[in-house]
Parts: sequence; structure tokens; C-alpha cells
Amino acid sequence: MTPMEVGDPAWRTIAQPAALKALVALAGLGLIALELWWFLGRHGETGTAAAEGGVQTVRITVQGGYAPERVRLRSGQPIRLVFHRLDPSSCVARVIVPDLQRSLDLPLNGEASIDLPPLDPGLYPFHCGMAMVRGELEVVSD
Amino acid sequence: MAHTPAHEQPGCCDTAAGDGIAPPSTATDRELARELSGLRRQLRLALLLTGLIVVGSMPHMLGRPLPAIPGWLSSSWSQLLLATLVLVGGGGPIFSGAWRALLRHRADMNTLVATGVGIAWLASLPATVAPGWLRAQGLPADLYYETAAVILTLVLLGQFLEARARGQTSEAIRRLLQLQPPTARVQRQGVLVELLVSRVAPGDTVLVRPGETVPLDGEVVEGSSWVEEAMLTGESTPVRKQPGDAVVGGALNRSGSFSFRVTRVGQDTLLAQIVELVRQAQSSRTRVQRLADQVTAWFVPVVIAIAIAAFVVWFLVSGNGLLSTLFLVSVLVIACPCALGLATPTSIMVASGKGAENGLIFRNAEALETAGGLRTLVLDKTGTITRGRPEVSDFQRLGGGRLEAAALLPLLAAVEERSEHPLAEAVVAYVAEQLPGAPRPAVEEFEAVAGRGVTARVEGQEVRIGTPRWFRQGGEPDSGELVATSPELEALAAELEARACSTVAVVVDGRAEALLGVSDPPRQEAAAAVAGLRRLGLAVVMLTGDGRRTAEAIAAQVGIERVIAEVKPADKAAEIRRLQDQGQGPVAMVGDGINDAPALAQADVGFAIGTGTDVAIAASDVTLLAARLAGVGVAIELSRATLANIRQNLFFAFAYNVAGIPIAAGLLFPFTGWLLNPMLAGAAMAFSSVSVVTNALRLRRFRPHPLPVAR
Repeated sequence: MTPMEVGDPAWRTIAQPAALKALVALAGLGLIALELWWFLGRHGETGTAAAEGGVQTVRITVQGGYAPERVRLRSGQPIRLVFHRLDPSSCVARVIVPDLQRSLDLPLNGEASIDLPPLDPGLYPFHCGMAMVRGELEVVSD
Repeated sequence: MAHTPAHEQPGCCDTAAGDGIAPPSTATDRELARELSGLRRQLRLALLLTGLIVVGSMPHMLGRPLPAIPGWLSSSWSQLLLATLVLVGGGGPIFSGAWRALLRHRADMNTLVATGVGIAWLASLPATVAPGWLRAQGLPADLYYETAAVILTLVLLGQFLEARARGQTSEAIRRLLQLQPPTARVQRQGVLVELLVSRVAPGDTVLVRPGETVPLDGEVVEGSSWVEEAMLTGESTPVRKQPGDAVVGGALNRSGSFSFRVTRVGQDTLLAQIVELVRQAQSSRTRVQRLADQVTAWFVPVVIAIAIAAFVVWFLVSGNGLLSTLFLVSVLVIACPCALGLATPTSIMVASGKGAENGLIFRNAEALETAGGLRTLVLDKTGTITRGRPEVSDFQRLGGGRLEAAALLPLLAAVEERSEHPLAEAVVAYVAEQLPGAPRPAVEEFEAVAGRGVTARVEGQEVRIGTPRWFRQGGEPDSGELVATSPELEALAAELEARACSTVAVVVDGRAEALLGVSDPPRQEAAAAVAGLRRLGLAVVMLTGDGRRTAEAIAAQVGIERVIAEVKPADKAAEIRRLQDQGQGPVAMVGDGINDAPALAQADVGFAIGTGTDVAIAASDVTLLAARLAGVGVAIELSRATLANIRQNLFFAFAYNVAGIPIAAGLLFPFTGWLLNPMLAGAAMAFSSVSVVTNALRLRRFRPHPLPVAR
């Protein structure tokens, strides 16, 4: 495993028709655009809470990410987040709401819930231990 | 690295494996164990098969036949078969994780590894199926199965090492949880029975024998012993426990035997509260991490874009599709978002655990972050610098007095009994010692004047007890009464204050009757601790409600040069704000957490010196479980070590990616003429996140500097 030298068998210049080069360039640009749109564009559905006994309750499924990823909540009302973890990856075995200093261990194929106090309007992210899988609570005033 | 979902599989996300308030064998712990055993299995399979692939590809790599290697092993079809087995058997979880993430519009570590390895595998297919046709077209017919297999195996190895290291980051919490013994010997209907700790209720009487660990919190009712609370509070000196004393669960009983009445069980015990506080701190994030989080969200999609761009550019330059694919694969597999994600949380995990080991509970990551940058440290006097147990050392009658001591002392005790001031307690204790059992007269119209003293009416006499300063000022402006202080009182007060005593004057019906000197000597280690804080470059200030002369005398004993004295309790927060406004950097306040709560909250970092039995000190950012001033220095040193560690991690993670990605994309080629082999790229990635976690684990070896010898 040494760096490849120019003499490496892989290093070989091959003449290609200009049309093919143009096609590859266009396809590459298209692919980049598609990929950025797919991953960075806004796709996740925004979930809303169901009122259960004065508590805004949201069910979030954990599989390859959080569904819904973004939850709209009203300010000034207590919140309960119910996580249902289907993803076997231990990556998502823990969810953290850093701004509220709360964390929760999620059992596989089971539900676990976390109760949050009434919040002020604003955005409150939640994520797995390494902040790679993310979601967001959007708290709006009435 | 390791963002690898999958069944029984690793995950880089779970930075908190194994902590939980319940016993150590919690779900998270089991999950980590399952993850490790799954990874070990995958890794073993991948190592074996990849070994075969590499041996089989030798003749191809060296360009000549090797008689020792059977021909079938080198054939492109067996290479395809073996590589497919590695990808499916070892990398299955990575591919399925990447797929699940893709459906959710998410890209992570799995996305990069799965795409990189998958493309290397796909790029070798034409050369396997139709090598002759490719050569006839003038195209290379090279195989990259060994590249795909080696990268995947390295990734698995990295994940395995990282998961193992991650398990160690929560070791401190696990150790704390293991302090509690599983059972306790409880008195039930006159019989001693051994019960699970979870079955013991408040009010039960528990027997602790020599060498045993105290199972729960309570109060000693019988017997006595020395117990060691080092594992909980960091205080290594054993503490004498007698009937009436509080004991905490997790403390080690040394020599004697004693029984205690259980006061707190389950989540209410000190041990459970410590674990919960540490866990909360580990769930918070630092300011610097918020920045890193922003980067990780964009990271993977941007890396994919760079990889595609590298492919296009190299295809335009060389026209060689296979070569361009190698660049694409290299960029995908060298990028490591996990190193970025792990950089701060792992350091915080280890540091908060390390803090708990030293009896320091950080409320959140931000406190841990801010403490390192403190410039000014304000120390409350009573209970922080001093032991907080004042005693009357002098009782001087004054010339103008008319009352007999036998009449004055009960009157004094009767009034002071109503007050909650620590000095008043000392006066009451003094009277109880001088005239045990003396009846106390009735007190009417009792009133406390903050920062001054108290007034009351006793048997028709107007009684005022308080600081001589109060009388010097001529009483309260609204009292309409002036109390002259005598030169005698002034001189005596000055003398006592120069000896670091607080002074309390007793005035009855306008006549100064007596002057008491109350001494509260500095803690034994206070001078050394202050010297240690100054060595850390901090400006140390003493803040107290005491008179200036008393305060200065105490300050001189412990080596503090700047004193802010005669500050009423309510004004302490304002003094802190004034210091903050002077713009000399962040200001910390060290106090007892109850009387000083507003000042602790106002400070950039509030340190509460605890009693070792109660951590419910909500206003503080850092709680020192042992009543030792030296803990403040340790907290600051730990914070600095943690910040340095986080900076190293972040620098490494950023620098690694910022340097690695362009090299993998072939940016150096025009200047140096060499290109990065994708297998090397995979190796670099596999070990970048391992090194981040390993570096964070170095914090476990943190040792505070020994205290300097006080002057």
C-alpha cells in the first residue's frame, strides 16, 4: 500500500472524444445537484403534537433517522416526546436534547418517553449521541 | 469513525454507552457489549477473507506469476466471490445503514463507506466479466476487489477499536454505581435480615460492619466508626461518625461497627444524585460543539460533491475512467465526519467522570468550558475560607454597662436564639456553655436588620446586638435614636478585629454593655489553596459582610490581597456584577450555595462548597462535594486540561479532513507526482476517529498539581 506512482499501471492517459467528456462533466454536475438537493434540501415532514390531557404528545419513530424530523409545538404547554426505536443501530440508542440537558436511552423495538417543561418559542434540536442523526422541535407562540 | 448502524452493530452515535442511573448492567451497557461482540465476529470474517483476497491478488499486483499461490485463488471470479462475501458478511450492516439513511434524506459515515467500497467493487465487474473486450478497446482491465475488501476491513477494525474505547469513557459513572453494595443488613422486628437495597425503606435501621460499604444515606443511631468518603467526595481523610452524624451510601466503613437510620433511598441518595448530575452534564454541549455540529450537518453531502467533482476533473484530464474512479473512492473513504462528531462529547464524557472522581460535579459542559478561562475568583469568607463554625473567643464588659453578667448573658441568648446568623449561633452556644440551663427571658418585637444586627424588647428594655459599625453610624436613620459609641468600645473592637475576630456589641437601653469577639479561623488548607489558585494565574478576592479590619486580618492569614468587606448579603451579587463590568475576564464566585445563591448565579461560574451530603445546590455551576477550597483549583485545572483536549481533538479532526480530502482528490499530483492509494485513504480514516477517542481517554490520567507550600 504505497502511494501510486505515475508508473503505476493505473496511470494511463486515454484519448476520449470531446462529446463523451462533455457528457461526463454534465452528468457529474447533475449528480452533484441531485445529491445536494436530496440530502440538504428540506424534505422531512413537519409533525404536530396531539393534545393528551393537557400535554402535547409527539410520537417519533426512529429508523435511519427521526420521523417526523421536525416537530411543531406550542409554547407554554408541557411536552411529551415518545420515541419508538426500530433501528437496531446502537448509534440511535440514545437521544439528547442538549439545550434542555436531557437525554434518554431508547430500547430497541420499544417505546420510551421524555417529558419536557413548557418551552419558550424557538428551535430546540435533538440528536443522537454524536449529533449525526438529528431532529428539531420548533416551538411557536399561540 | 463508525457511524454504522446495523443489527448488533456499532454506532458512533452512542457516546454515552453504559451510563444510566440504574445498576451498571443497564440496557446501554448490554447494547455496547452486543455491539462489540457483533463487530468482533464481522471483523474476524472480514480479516480472513480479505487475507485470502490480498494473497490472491499478489501475482496481479506484482505483474508476474507466483508459484506458491494457487491459480484459482488469483482468478478474477474467485476474487469477486471472496470480495462479495466480505462486503455482505462484514459490511452488511454498513450497507443497510446507508440505505436506511438514504431513504430518510440523511447521509452519514455509512453513506461514505458504502458508496466508496461499493463503487470499487462495481468498477471491477467489467474486468471480471469481459476483460478481453476491455483490452480490445484499449481500456485497462484492472481489478480492485482487494481495495474494496481492505477498506472495509480497516473500517471495521476502526469501529471495533473505537467502540471499545468509547466504553471506557463512561467508566467513572460505572465505578460510582458499583459503589453501592447490592444488599443491606436491616433490623426487622428485632431480627437482622439481609435485604436487597431496593427493598430497604426510609426509617429502617441498617447495621454496617467493619470493612463494609454503607448501602444508603442515613443518620447514625448507635455505635461509632471512621468512614472513608473518598470515592464520593474526593476527600481522602476518614471522617469520624457518631450517633447523630450523617452517613452517605457508598462510603467505606473502616474500623468500627454502627447502625444508622435510613433517610434517603433510590433516586434521592447522594450517590444517585451525583450520577444523575454527571449524566446531565454529559447530555449538554459546549459552545464550541455547537459550531462543530453545524459543520457535521453539511459535511457528508459536501464530501460526496467533492468526490464527484474529482471524478469529473480527472476524467477530463486523463480520459481514464478507472483512474478517475480511484480518486472518487479515495475521497469518499478518507473523509471522517465521526472524528468531528466525537471530538467534544468524548472529552466531556471523560472529564465529567473525572470530576466526579475528584468530588467535583459540573452542572453542564458549558461550566466545564468556562471554568478554564476564569480570571478572577471571589471567595466568600465564612464557610469558604474559614471553617464556618464561629466560636466566641472573647467576652469583654464595657465601662458604661450596668447589668450583671448573670442577667446579661440569658438576655443575649434569648435574643440571639431568634436570629439565623452564624455569629448568633456562636453566641447562643457560648451562653449555653457559660450558664448551662439558665432560664431565658421572653423576647418581644424581635427584628433583624440585614448586615447590621438585631433589635428586640426584653423585659421592657430596648436591646440591640450587632456590629459596632452600626452603632458608630448612630443607629438606623429612621429609629430616631442615636447610640454613642465609647472610645473604649472602639479601641477594644479594633484590637479584636486585628486578631481576625468578628465583633458583636451589645447595647441595652442605649448603653454599650459588652463586646464579644467571635473567631472563625481559616480552614487548615486555605492558605495553600489560595496560593494554588494564584499559581493558576487567578486574581483572588475575598468578599464578606464582616468588618474591614476582621476581613483584612483573615485575608492576610491566607494570602489574599484584595478584600471587599462590609457587603450585605443582598449586595454580594451586585459586587460580582461590578467585577464583571470591569472587563477583566470571567468572574467566579465560591460560596456555600445557600446564602450566596444570588451571587453564585450572577458569577460566570458559581462554585458551591458542599457539605458532602447534599448536592441539591441548584444555583451553582460546580459543586464541590468535599468542603475543601482546594477543589476549586482542581476544577479549574481539569477544565483547562479538558479544553486543551477538546481543542486538540477538534484541530486534529478538522485538520485531518481539510488536509486529507484534497490529497485524496489528487490536488497534490501536479506538484508531487503522486496519488493516494484508496486503501491508504481507508486506513487513515479508520484510525482518525480512534485517535480522537484515544486522545480523549488521556484525560483519565488527569492529576491535579499538588498544592504549593503556603507562605
